[in-house]
Amino acid sequence: MSIPFPSDAWIKALQNVLNTDDEYGKIASNWEGDLMFVVEAEGARTRPIYMYMDLWHGKCRDARQVADADEKKAAFLLAAPYAVFQKIVQGKLDPMQAMMTRQLKVTGNMIYMMRNVPTVLRFVKCTEKIDSEFAA
Amino acid sequence: MIGNLLTIDLTRQITGVRTLDPQLFRDFVGGASLAAKLLYESLTPDLDPLSPDNPLLFLTGPLTGSSGPAVGRYVVCAKSPLTHIWAESNCGGFFGPEIRFAGYDGILFTGRASSPVYVWINNETVELRDASHLWGGDTYETQARIKSEVNEPLARVACIGVAGERLIPFALILNDHGRVAGRTGMGAVMGSKNIKAIAVRGGSPLEFADPTFNQKRSRANLDLRNDNVSQVLREMGSSGASDYFNYLGEMPVRYFSRSGFENIDKVSGATMAETILSGVSTCHACVIACGRKVILPDGDYKRGESKGPEYETIVGFGPNLEISDLAAITHLGQLCDSLGADSISMSGTIGLAFMMYQEGVITTKDTDGLELKWGDVHAVEKLIHLAVKREGFGELLARGSKALAKHFGAEEMAVQVNGLEVAYHDPRGATGMGLVYAASPRGACHNQSDYFMVEIGNSMSEIGVEMVDRAASEGKALSVSRHQWWRTLNNSLVMCVFANVPFNTARELINAATGFDYSAEEFLRCGERGWALKRAINNRLGITAKNDTLPRALLTPLSEGGAAGVVINLQTMLKEYYEVQGWDAATGKPTRSTLERLGLKDIWITTPSS
Repeated sequence: MSIPFPSDAWIKALQNVLNTDDEYGKIASNWEGDLMFVVEAEGARTRPIYMYMDLWHGKCRDARQVADADEKKAAFLLAAPYAVFQKIVQGKLDPMQAMMTRQLKVTGNMIYMMRNVPTVLRFVKCTEKIDSEFAA
Repeated sequence: MIGNLLTIDLTRQITGVRTLDPQLFRDFVGGASLAAKLLYESLTPDLDPLSPDNPLLFLTGPLTGSSGPAVGRYVVCAKSPLTHIWAESNCGGFFGPEIRFAGYDGILFTGRASSPVYVWINNETVELRDASHLWGGDTYETQARIKSEVNEPLARVACIGVAGERLIPFALILNDHGRVAGRTGMGAVMGSKNIKAIAVRGGSPLEFADPTFNQKRSRANLDLRNDNVSQVLREMGSSGASDYFNYLGEMPVRYFSRSGFENIDKVSGATMAETILSGVSTCHACVIACGRKVILPDGDYKRGESKGPEYETIVGFGPNLEISDLAAITHLGQLCDSLGADSISMSGTIGLAFMMYQEGVITTKDTDGLELKWGDVHAVEKLIHLAVKREGFGELLARGSKALAKHFGAEEMAVQVNGLEVAYHDPRGATGMGLVYAASPRGACHNQSDYFMVEIGNSMSEIGVEMVDRAASEGKALSVSRHQWWRTLNNSLVMCVFANVPFNTARELINAATGFDYSAEEFLRCGERGWALKRAINNRLGITAKNDTLPRALLTPLSEGGAAGVVINLQTMLKEYYEVQGWDAATGKPTRSTLERLGLKDIWITTPSS
């Protein structure tokens, strides 16, 4: 059954994928840092949607939709319009391309991020494993 | 544009000001493309690059000094003593803007001074001063002494080191806090003219056609400051993505024979930021601040705050030679800067020497007794000194890798294109770079198009340059060409290629500065025009399709790392490329119709027919 993006169910589904993906577990074994997805308000979406993930040593310890960015202070903030997230999750937009072309705004410790690009890429690959449902 | 070119005849010690036709700026924008137009007639096949007849042209762009996004740059052009073809090398810092503040778009040197001089340009006053006492000085000391002599601490000084004085064909020009015009040996041309340095102080504000220019450039700077790539550069310098490049197999190891440097954690930009970084430095009005300041608190290379190495120097003296000590790499980079030698060509030539030693092509009998073992910092340091002194084996190193390999009958081992050492972006990790290196107007250059950035995601939809499969060879020629034209515009503006400035933002700024009102199509065509003109110059200097090639090492697939097994099909790419560029595939020359379409009909008259 497909899971609507973005939603609490979707981020929990991603948590499940990450915790069962051996390659992610191996590549991200040193990763320590939580992150917040911010699906920006746009058009009919009058309010941004926030999804939080606590990632620790190759596992996801917590994942949930939150009311706003202040509810959980995450180390990294990944912000983009809905359509950009959709393309990334569907594997149609390379995450590095999204970042370099200003489609995806990244806030946080870039030193840590650049040291761990393979982790980031595998993380994004895992999102493709979810049977995601997107608005028409 | 200002429209004034300062001319200095060193032989006759005569200075003057030449007015530049505004149409030249409209057609060529400025910087390197305008330099190509101005120098075209002088760059002949029989011109000795180190003779008084080789003109040396420093040019800025219409945005230089405007405080626009990453445009505090100038370019130096001539015939290269390293490659014997078109030479251009651009540089940041504050020297370029100061030329504009003094009331000039550039400085054209001709002839040769009878003894060492430095030039002191204080607005409209221009003096040639004796520099005999400065000869032999390093590039930092020279700047300080000249500022003191002219009693102007805010003067900006571009100078050469010992390498330039000794006419090493890959000598650089350095200004400010270690900003260099490193490639193609412009320091040697300066040395051949007995110019130790140029000091400039200006006081004229720049004027712009559109009164809203400052608002536009402020907005562009704000966007650039908030850009993700800028953030990486600010926090980690130009080697911020070195971990990623290493992961992709795009970073060469052991003189391009291996991939995937196991000690990347010890030398990356991230490591520098977390260990020895003490501050950052900027070029004029730049919001990125990619320059590194480092302190080496102890050990063999202990020193106070000094310039930290950028990506090319880190890889050249690091993974390329299998050195994993960031302090040592910093030291070797500083040594090259202070002596005035290009760190890419120096480390590339030393890498070749190490490889020839490994393969038994040379022995200790050839190296003045030195054993050349990968990772040996002391051997590398010794070779740098020998090269700059041109002593013993150093005399061979001082000629660059192509000549070194030729001397030992091992030309195929040199990783160079048309005499210029390949920059440290391995095209097997991003195949478009293979085409870039093969067709670049100044040899294997990554600044004529950093297409590897496109291949890892930095697409530019505005000009039809989309992300492509970095392992593929087919279907890239149009995208590579358009990116080269865009970077030709960067080198004309003169805008730093690190700055992730959108094409249309640059166009809006140039329009606001000049009032030209370029359309997108016309602006990109200016880039194509400059690209074709440089090609025509090189054709005149003997470059043909046969020169559009890659060294053997890069055509050999890697057996490991993120680019393992990738084969560069250069012939496929070139075939598509000549068609896109409108160049004759048999000769490699722009066709008559191409030159006419680009408004370069006059060039055709003096270009041998294809």
